[in-house]
Formats: sequence, structure tokens, C-alpha cells
Amino acid sequence: MLGDFLNPYYLQVASFIMINIILGLSIYVTLSSGQLSLGNAGFMGIGAYTSALLTINYDMPIVVSVIAGAIVAGLVGILIGIPSLRLTGVYLAIATLGFGEVIRVFMINWESLTKGAVGLSGIPQIGRELLKVSRDAGFNPLDIGLKNNQYVYLLVLIILVIINILLIWFLVRQNKSRVGRAFAAIKMDEKAAEAMGVNITYYKVLSFVQGAVISGFAGALFAHVMGYISPADFSYHRAVEILIFAVFGGSEVIWGSIFGATFMTLMPEVLRFISEYRYMIYGAILILMMAFRPQGIIDVPLLQKLQLSKRRGKHGSKN
Amino acid sequence: MLLEQLINGITLGSIYAIVALGFTLVFGVLGIINMAHGEIFMFGAFVGVMVTSTLGWPIWMAFLAAIIVTAILGYMLERFALRPLRGKKGVSHLAPLISTIGVSILLENLSHHLFGAGNHPFKNAFAEIHFTIGSITIYVVQIVIFVISVVLMMALSYWLSKTRAGKALRATAENLDTASILGVNTRQIITLTVVMASAMGGIAGILVGMAFNSVNPQMGLSMGLKGLAIIILGGMGNVKGAMAGGLILGLAETLIVAYGDSGYRDAIAFLAIIVILLIRPQGLFGQKTSEGRP
Repeated sequence: MLGDFLNPYYLQVASFIMINIILGLSIYVTLSSGQLSLGNAGFMGIGAYTSALLTINYDMPIVVSVIAGAIVAGLVGILIGIPSLRLTGVYLAIATLGFGEVIRVFMINWESLTKGAVGLSGIPQIGRELLKVSRDAGFNPLDIGLKNNQYVYLLVLIILVIINILLIWFLVRQNKSRVGRAFAAIKMDEKAAEAMGVNITYYKVLSFVQGAVISGFAGALFAHVMGYISPADFSYHRAVEILIFAVFGGSEVIWGSIFGATFMTLMPEVLRFISEYRYMIYGAILILMMAFRPQGIIDVPLLQKLQLSKRRGKHGSKN
Repeated sequence: MLLEQLINGITLGSIYAIVALGFTLVFGVLGIINMAHGEIFMFGAFVGVMVTSTLGWPIWMAFLAAIIVTAILGYMLERFALRPLRGKKGVSHLAPLISTIGVSILLENLSHHLFGAGNHPFKNAFAEIHFTIGSITIYVVQIVIFVISVVLMMALSYWLSKTRAGKALRATAENLDTASILGVNTRQIITLTVVMASAMGGIAGILVGMAFNSVNPQMGLSMGLKGLAIIILGGMGNVKGAMAGGLILGLAETLIVAYGDSGYRDAIAFLAIIVILLIRPQGLFGQKTSEGRP
């Protein structure tokens, strides 16, 4: 039966991969216009807390609150983005890093709202809510041979996969559009892009806010998948982890962050002994990548090579 | 009461200034932000703990050992994380930043494994010695910290402005290529700068250990971020700015702990960064450039 193949643990790891891919995409979007934002962990926290608090305190449906979380993160992104974009390069990185820390300090200290360092627990989980809904509709997971927790994790994973496909589709489309070309032009040379008539402020804010919305969205999903969040989930380490996804996988192409997020989430799970030294390995990876392959594992020439060999393979099979 | 708080603030501020000087030297010469500086500082503090508590040696030995260890770490940082990126074509200006973030994460977690999480007590013989003038209590440690910081800052200023190596360093900071053409061994100067900045971080580590009597692996990150805030406040690559910025932040933090909400102490530095970057991006002491920021 289907139930024998679905290990809830694997399903959960797969869900984390999906959430991390969204986070990887969030830093990819800002990097695609040549800006390094280290505030994505902060935006993720805003999204997570907004969504969690809305569901806990106001009994909002999860769909609404997740969207609200992403929107609030985006609004804060606009507030931070417009002034911060007077800054470029390392200054923007530091300002956004500072922003992330401010958010974390507020999450710890605003105890009446956020319960401080202890964190929020009892956040409604997407899977369990859906289980309730399907029970009410008279459907029992056991009818198709699934245990409750298998059903729950499977549903969550399916939802996340759909979200990821939509998001990647959107970003791939955007890359080929006017907006994507403007991002690329700004990344190449800001002044030249401005001289060519690209409204650089608009596009820079746009890419920054897109990053904020996507990470807020990821944070909100994270809250409703985990059921528990605390300020420690959105610390500097999270910011570095998100950065690793893009740097390791490749920051020039969208597939880079996707690959990076998948690989970096799987690695500590597959190699248990690594888990203890995880952050040390992250550090070493950052240093080595910068020294030997600053563009990341997956870059444009590699993709072209892959495509070429695929085409050749097809050609060969025809003959 | 206020006077006592001011003394606390100046003590804290002079340590911040030393940390910030390490950042500002590296930024001035290499134009990069050394995110690993906070962790090197933390290693210095741990060397102090090892020497004074575990081995039971006097405090001056701790200074010596911390300087040696952090100088070696600084050399390794330059050799393995910065030099490979230099002069390479097509490397983004963000690469050294990311590379030093790598070093910082590596060192922080290395110290977790070496020394364990949690707080480590920092013993020194004169921690409790104090005297009172009127209603004010002053600890000897505070005076020692202040004197060491001031001497260090004066020595650095003198070295930078008067000696041959100091002038070479400033020339390199001004323009690396021109300095190189004029016969400055820029490679040596760069290594020297990073090593010196790291050693200053090590000294600051011992000073912090003396001031707070406790050391933990997380302090590198928070101190590093504050150091960044200070150099932005004072102007990037500006030595005087780093000193003044350190004092301002130290005073502001002490006052908010005394008269406001202590929980928000760590947020001040970052709010200051954001505000200063928006109002006066070149920093309090920096000069305005027509180019805008690099």
C-alpha cells in the first residue's frame, strides 16, 4: 500500500527543503539586481510572527494569515528598502544585517506580544487543520491506507511543492521579462543601466521588496509547518544559512539557489555526524567557494553544457 | 550616580573603540569589512580565560598570549580567506565580505567545540579592588582598561603618522596601486595591517574579559556587529572616528541600561547604523565623496 512507502520523517525533511528553497529564492531575487541583503532572516521572522499571531489571537484562516505575513514583510521591506538603497554593496549588507538584529531584539523584548525568548507555541499547523477539514467532510485518511501523520505531512509537502513550482515559474518568467532584464542590467553596471534609461531606484526597490515578500512568505509557512517559533529561528545564523544557499549553489542562475537549498538541507540529514559540525562546514564552504568558485556550483556555462549534452543525447537516440 | 554611569560608559566605550580600530584599519587599507574580527576578538578573550584561570598565570601573560594567538589567526585569515581573492579578475566586491563571514562562522563554532557553550569566568587578581571618592565607586579595573586603551590608541596614532611603516600603511590606504609604484611593498603592508588589527582585537578581548568577568562564544558576534556600527558611525576607515564612535556608543548603551530598558541595549547600535546611514552616510567624521559609496 501507499502507506508503507511514506515515512513521515522523509516527508518532513522534504518539506524543509521546500521552505529552504523559497528562502534561497528570496536571496536570489535581491542578488539578481546586484544587491546583497542579509536581512532576509529578519523578514522571515516578521512574516512568521505576523502570521502566527494572527492565527493564534484572531483565529484567522491560515491562508489569509500567511498572505498577511508576506504582505507585512513586504511593507517593512518598502520602508527599509527605499532609504537603504542609497547604499550599495557592503553598506547595504551591513544595514540589512543590522535590521535583522533589531528585529530579533524586538522579538525578544516585546514580551507582551511575542512571549520573548521563549517563543510562540501552539501555532495552528497547515496539515492538522487540513486533516480536521477533511474529517469534517467525511473523509478518513485510513480509507486510502494512510496513517494520520503520514496524511498530514504528505498534504503539507504537496502544498509546498505546488507553491514552489508557482514561485519558480513566476521568477523564471520574470527573468525573461522587462523587469528581469532591468535587474540584470543593474547588476552588470548600475551607471550604464541608468544611462540607458532604466529607472534604477524603482527596480532596486522592487527586487529588494520581492526578496522581503518571499522571505516573509517562507517565514509564515515555516511557522505553520513547525507549529513553534522563537527569535532564535531568525538570528544571524539563519541569515548566513540563507546566504549559503545562494553562494554554494550559484548566485547567477535561479537553479543555483534551488540546488544550494536542497543540498544544504539534505547534507546534515544524510550525514548525521556532520550535523554537529554543520556551521563549521558552512564556514569552510563559504571560504572555499569564494576562493575557487565565487559564482557557485551551478553557473551559466555549466547549464549550457548540460543543455548541450541533453540535446546531443536526444539527437543520438533519434539516429 | 550619573557620574558613575559616565565612568562605566567610558570604560565600555574605550573597549568598543579598540575593537572598532581593528575594523577601521582593515577597511582603510583593503576596503573590505572584516566580519571575522569579532570572532578573533572572542578568541583573544578565551586565550585570556585559559591563561589566567586554567594555567593560573598573571594577567600580563594573558595579554601576551592573546596577542600572539590573534596575530596568528589574523595571518591565517589574510593568507587563506583574503589573499586568494585579491587581484583575481571577475570577483565581485561582495566576495571578501562573504569569505570573512565564512571565517566568522567557522571560528565561532570552533570555539563552541573547543571551549564549550556557556559562560566562562575570567579571573583576575584585582577585580574587586575599588575606592570611593565622595559617593562614587571606581574600580581599579576600569582605570586599567581606560589607560590601556588610551595608550594603545595614542601608540597607534603616533605609529601611523610618524613611522615609516605607518606612512606606508596610510599610502596604501590612500591608493594601493600608486603606493605600489612608489616602492611600498603593499603585500607586506596588507598582511601587517590584518595581523595588527587582529592583535588589537585580541587585546580588546582580554579587556572585555576583565571588565565583565565572563566570556562566551557568542560575544564575538555581538561585539563584531557593534564594531561595525561604530565604524559606520565614525566614518569608514577613519581612525579618529572609530575612537569617538566607540565612546559615543559605550556611553549611549550605559545610559540606556541605567535610565531606560536594558533589553533594548543591543538594538541601539543597529538603530544608530540605520539612522546614520540615512542621514549622514559618510559618518560623523567622514568626508563626503562625490562618487557615492563604492
